[in-house]
Amino acid sequence: MAYVKNTIRIVLFLVFGALFHYVLPQHDVVRVTGTEIIRMDFSSMNRIFFAQADSASAELATRDIRLLNTVKRKTFLLGFYQREAEGVMVYRNEDTGWIWPPYFKFDSSDLQAEALANVSTPDNEQWVKITHYGWRNRFFTVYPNAIAITPIDGPEVRIIPWFNIFFFGFLIVGLLFMRAMWRQFRERTIDPAMEDAGDAWERVDAHADQARGRFGRWLDSWRGKR
Amino acid sequence: MGLIRLLVFGFLGLSVVYLAVSFYSRSIRREKLEDRWAEDHPDDRDSPERETFIEDGMTEYQNGIRPKLILLVYVIPAILVVLTLFMTNAN
Repeated sequence: MAYVKNTIRIVLFLVFGALFHYVLPQHDVVRVTGTEIIRMDFSSMNRIFFAQADSASAELATRDIRLLNTVKRKTFLLGFYQREAEGVMVYRNEDTGWIWPPYFKFDSSDLQAEALANVSTPDNEQWVKITHYGWRNRFFTVYPNAIAITPIDGPEVRIIPWFNIFFFGFLIVGLLFMRAMWRQFRERTIDPAMEDAGDAWERVDAHADQARGRFGRWLDSWRGKR
Repeated sequence: MGLIRLLVFGFLGLSVVYLAVSFYSRSIRREKLEDRWAEDHPDDRDSPERETFIEDGMTEYQNGIRPKLILLVYVIPAILVVLTLFMTNAN
C-alpha cells in the first residue's frame, strides 16, 4: 500500500513540476540577433505547445509565427546559477489571449518591435532580459513564448523571480487552507453523518437479533425435545 | 469569444470557491458558539436555550461584515487579471 501511495505521490510531483516548469515565467539574459517569421504547419505532435492565432484573428490550420533569434547566457539550476558559456536560443512570440496560460498577452507585434529596437551587433552588444514560459524542443519544433523584453546594461545581473516566490507562497497557503477546510468538513459533517448511520445500523442489527430469536424459537418448536 | 469563455468559466470556478469558503466560515463560527456555550454550561448538550444561543449567534454572524468579505473571492482574481493585462501589454 505504501508502495502504491509513494508511486502516486512521485507521479503527481513530476506532473505538477513539469506543468509549473512549463507555465511559470522564467528570465533569460540574451542578446537579440534578429527576428524571423516562418510558416508553421502544426501536427498533433506539437500543436498543444503553441497558443492560438493573434487575438481577434481566424484560426487556420497553418499560420505565420514570429520568432526571436538570440544568443543566450547559459545557466545551471533553473537559471539560479549563471555561467559564462553562451548558446543560441530561439523564442516564439505569440499572443496567449484570454485563456491559457493566463499571461493575457495581446502585444506580440509590439514585442517584436521592441526586440528589433534592441538588436545586438558584434561591435555593439545589447543585452536584454527576456521573460518567457515554455520549452525549446528540437525534435518536436517547439519554442518558448517570449512575454517581455527589458534592456539591461550587461550580462551580469541578479534576477530575483518575485512572481514565482509569491506564486509558490500562495500555493502553500492555499493548500493548507484547503486541508483545514477538508478537516472541518470531515469533523462536522461527515463524521456525525457516519455516526448516525452507525447508530441506525446497530438498531437494525438489534432488531434482526430479536427477530432471529423469535424465528429460532418457532423453528425449535418443530424439533423434537432433547 | 475568449473573453466570454474566461468570464463564464472563471465565474463558475470562483463560485465553487465562494460556496466552499462560506460553508467553512459558517461551520467554524457554529463550532465556536457551541464551544462557548459548553464552557459556561458544561453539562448542557441539547437544551432549547443552547439552540437559541447558537441560532442568535449565527444570525449575528450573517448580518455582520465577515460573510460579505468572502465576496473578495470574486474581486481579487478580477483585479489580478486586470493587473496582469496591464503589466503584460503596457510598454
